[in-house]
Amino acid sequence: MLGDLDFSPLLESWRYLAAGLGVTLALSALTVVSSLLLGAAIGFARVYGPVWISRILTFYIDSMRAIPVLVVLVWMYFAFPLVAGISLPPFWAAWAALTLHVAAYVAEILRAGIKSIRSGQTRAALALGMSGVQVVGKVVLPQAVIRMLPALGSVVSVTIKDTAIAATIAVPEYMERSQTLAGQSFRPVEVFTTAMIVYFIILFPATRAVDMLYRRLAHLGRS
Amino acid sequence: MTFDWGIVWHYRAALADGVVMTVLLAVATMLIAIPGGIVLALMRLSPLRPVAAASACFVEFFRNIPLILLVYWAFYVMPVAIGIEFSAFATGLAALSLNVSAYNAETFRAGIVSIRRGQGEAALALGMSRWQVMRQVVLPQAVRRVLPVLASTWVSLFKDTSLVSVIGVSELAYVSLQIRSQTFRILEMLTAMAAIYWLLGYPQAKLVDWIHRRYGVSE
Repeated sequence: MLGDLDFSPLLESWRYLAAGLGVTLALSALTVVSSLLLGAAIGFARVYGPVWISRILTFYIDSMRAIPVLVVLVWMYFAFPLVAGISLPPFWAAWAALTLHVAAYVAEILRAGIKSIRSGQTRAALALGMSGVQVVGKVVLPQAVIRMLPALGSVVSVTIKDTAIAATIAVPEYMERSQTLAGQSFRPVEVFTTAMIVYFIILFPATRAVDMLYRRLAHLGRS
Repeated sequence: MTFDWGIVWHYRAALADGVVMTVLLAVATMLIAIPGGIVLALMRLSPLRPVAAASACFVEFFRNIPLILLVYWAFYVMPVAIGIEFSAFATGLAALSLNVSAYNAETFRAGIVSIRRGQGEAALALGMSRWQVMRQVVLPQAVRRVLPVLASTWVSLFKDTSLVSVIGVSELAYVSLQIRSQTFRILEMLTAMAAIYWLLGYPQAKLVDWIHRRYGVSE
């Protein structure tokens, strides 16, 4: 029953858990940065690149939308070394797998943002004698980026949530440490309930902050 | 290293069972989460403050925790908290339903709120009953806005069913990982698992794009 809860194992092992939380945040931050860079490259190449590149990238993005993150993670950690001959430590395997996955979403968000700017604006800017780069840099992107903000913010929270799946390949992040502690202390109720609250405390303000930022800036994206 | 792809064909029956379980789990979750989402959305729009707040808390909480943690929590804590032992399938179904219900609630709420109030008031002024207003004015428009989002949620759910493999529900991921550890055919089984998910998920992703183009409302 829930009557005799004992949180002392959590208090005793708080350093162990805090280190796990550090790994969760580090993995999330690295993944967000690399996904934004890779996703932006893929998104631009898909929208403005030649048709054959666009086709290949569309296929890549749709494939990533079709395969679960768990499968990509497990494949990257266990199967990739057999093909490539080099094995990645769990942290970097998770980073690579999550980046491949999240970048596809970033690329899709970028495409939708660019497509949402009416083509009349591009034509007008070209008619005024602006170059292609100027049109994208000075007309399309400043509006598109604002419109993309809510979706890009959700990329941050999705990434933090997805890093928890890296526990399956033994990355010593918060989820994995909670599992270990729950097993050692025989206190799964306390450990997993605490983990839920900890993740909520990180994720809820993250989503709220992006919402508030967007409400402040939304008028800049209107046309 | 030599690869033996025959192993995938050898275990075709087990893999097929896994696929059936994955589909079953996704369908059952949606069947629970659509009514669940509607109830939560109506609660959220209720004029009674405590009811609206309860729904908001539920939705925000379950949207802001990792699903894999919810699966573990349902496995270890739910039986203790409620005092009933659940099968692995029921536990996985409960975790997925809580998660997807929260997402669906936001979808339905956004769909209903997006229909301007003036339309309902105009219809009432024309002498329609509240039920007629809902059925003939609000819902036909709301469905167009809700359907594409529900379709996207379905694709996410289909992939997320893989996470209940951690508590031993014998769906596709679990079956594949089990065969991998029994046969040590790591590359073959993991690649086959990815390929099967791809074969199932790729057409769904394309279908969702089509639904977005067909029914999507652009302002």
